Amino acid sequence: MAASSPAKAPRMRGDQLRRFYWLLVMPAVLMMVGLYFFPLAKVLWISVTEPVPGIGNYAKLITSESVHKVLIVTLRICVITTAVTLVLGYVLSYAMVQAKGAWLRGLTFFVLLPLWISVLVRAFSWVTLLRSNGVINQALLSAGVISEPLTLLRNEFGVIVGMVHYMVPFAVLPLYSNMRGIDLRLIAAARLLGASPWRAFRRIFLPLSLPGVVASGVLVFIFSMGFYVTPALLGGGRVFMIAEYIGVQITQTINWGLGTMLATLLLVCILTLMALLGRIVDMRKLFGAA
Amino acid sequence: MTHVQSFQEDCIALAHEKLARGQMTRRQFNAALAALGALGGAGAMSGHANAQTAKEVVFVNWGGVANEAFGKYYGKPFEEKNPGVKVVMDSSGPTTGKIRAMVESKKVTWDTCDGSVTSGILLGGLGMLEPIDYNIVKKSDILPGFAYPYTVGPYSFSNVMIYDSSKFGNDPPKTWVDFFDLKKYPGKRMLRRDANCMFETLLMGDGVAMDKVYPIDVKRGLEVLKKIRKEAVYWNSGSESEQLMRTGEATIGVLWNTRAKVLHEETKGRITWTWNQGILQPAAFPILKGNPAGALAQQFIASCCANVEAQVGLLGFFANGPTNPRAAEKVPDDLKKFNPTDPANAKVQLIFDGEWWGKNYTEVNQQYLDTIAS
Repeated sequence: MAASSPAKAPRMRGDQLRRFYWLLVMPAVLMMVGLYFFPLAKVLWISVTEPVPGIGNYAKLITSESVHKVLIVTLRICVITTAVTLVLGYVLSYAMVQAKGAWLRGLTFFVLLPLWISVLVRAFSWVTLLRSNGVINQALLSAGVISEPLTLLRNEFGVIVGMVHYMVPFAVLPLYSNMRGIDLRLIAAARLLGASPWRAFRRIFLPLSLPGVVASGVLVFIFSMGFYVTPALLGGGRVFMIAEYIGVQITQTINWGLGTMLATLLLVCILTLMALLGRIVDMRKLFGAA
Repeated sequence: MTHVQSFQEDCIALAHEKLARGQMTRRQFNAALAALGALGGAGAMSGHANAQTAKEVVFVNWGGVANEAFGKYYGKPFEEKNPGVKVVMDSSGPTTGKIRAMVESKKVTWDTCDGSVTSGILLGGLGMLEPIDYNIVKKSDILPGFAYPYTVGPYSFSNVMIYDSSKFGNDPPKTWVDFFDLKKYPGKRMLRRDANCMFETLLMGDGVAMDKVYPIDVKRGLEVLKKIRKEAVYWNSGSESEQLMRTGEATIGVLWNTRAKVLHEETKGRITWTWNQGILQPAAFPILKGNPAGALAQQFIASCCANVEAQVGLLGFFANGPTNPRAAEKVPDDLKKFNPTDPANAKVQLIFDGEWWGKNYTEVNQQYLDTIAS
């Protein structure tokens, strides 16, 4: 699309202008290439050169049980986290669209509040709540609901709780911005034509909000794949996700070939998802451009 | 601190906690350090005056109060003895990965650091470290079993068994076999989320005699781990290990002797530890290949290893054991029971075999982490 077509004289001005724009962004592009893409490529290159040149590290995707395990665990946690986050985020966004005045401000505040609290503080708070002699177990035990403490922590459940808590605001923001664009009079019209409230929601509102759902889902899923702190603290060593796995390979055991292979895999997955997302929704709109 | 924390990082955290709890005020701490620095006399000042044109030794550590403590206990005495030399404390955290990146890029700005025995063997094997020159560092300043080809260090620490004595009456656990006896000693077990020293624990727990632990039978260790893993909790950082014992989530555990001392003092001996079958290892200061200060770094390490007073000082502060054979007798009586290298304590412990770990860590650690996670 950037190719100029000299045959069409009237468009020359536009092309010149476009070239001028490119010139303006050139310093930024060069900086990104020199300081970001080039070093990144160099790091990823290690995945085909270490410990011996070749695709030995990528073969581990098929042969290594350890790699299978971390990929399956990561995928499972990301899918569950995304699903739960979407349900909660959808309900919240829907409430925000309906709410007005102080209610809307209150809801927005409490959705955004966790974003300002350090991920470490949040994880440790969950530990206090969820551990075997923690607040939740104590309360349930003394109420006689359970006789043995529930294992809520140091397993995938604990990790998912922590991750969902982290991700809900990220789901709400695109969902809310999408839902606000839906003309609520359409619902009223459907009701007027005899649809039940549920039918009006299912046939009118839900389909119209789907782009928001997809955008939120992909965003949450991408974020989830990179989780490091939360699984490490709430998983108690038992939940090993890909980001931490890569961390161990790079800093501790200096198994850089394997670490960079998985980093490459992660990057490819994320770029693919972003590309898919770009085909489904208008990215500029999603990230707030009018 | 989300990765598995190293012992060195934990010392800093520990010192911060001590200061925060008021067990040691910063003023006291500084006064103690100043007293120690005064041993060298007035030479210190003139040394600093020349610092700008002086040669430098860059020592990288894990930051915080350790930066300060190492500066005073290790850096300052060396500066005083060598006017014109400056020891620069850099607290950027010498992970194995960072050292490798620095040496491979051939832009080495670090001389030595607070590393680990295992990573020393790993990096040394890759040709990324200078061998320790034992003509400069005197072997007579190092306890037997603590001097490695690529690393040597002026302090030591131990992985010991900690337990809540109130839970077990007058028959507390004494060995790693007891550690794995869930019937006799009910409750959760606490292990470290890193294979280093855990396989020693697992094997001795399966009845392997202390002198038969090395070379480690990895398969057997993993089998023991599989039996216990559902009943175990794992720690990444020293403060976490302390917390798991403090809250009663675990009744018996493995942790560093520095943390054992904190719990022992805090609970007035209710939560206490045994040196028996502890796994004792030295600190490890490696010298990066092509380091800017050259042989001066060897002299710096030699000076730390020879400095008995500083080592005893650090024992009082962090409960890090001296590695100089002449230090133990200089330790005040009330500190002796906290000293991992006190002859009485050392003789019931296993000396960590860094050679074995250096060769096998990458593979075995992965298996350990995978086994915990399944």
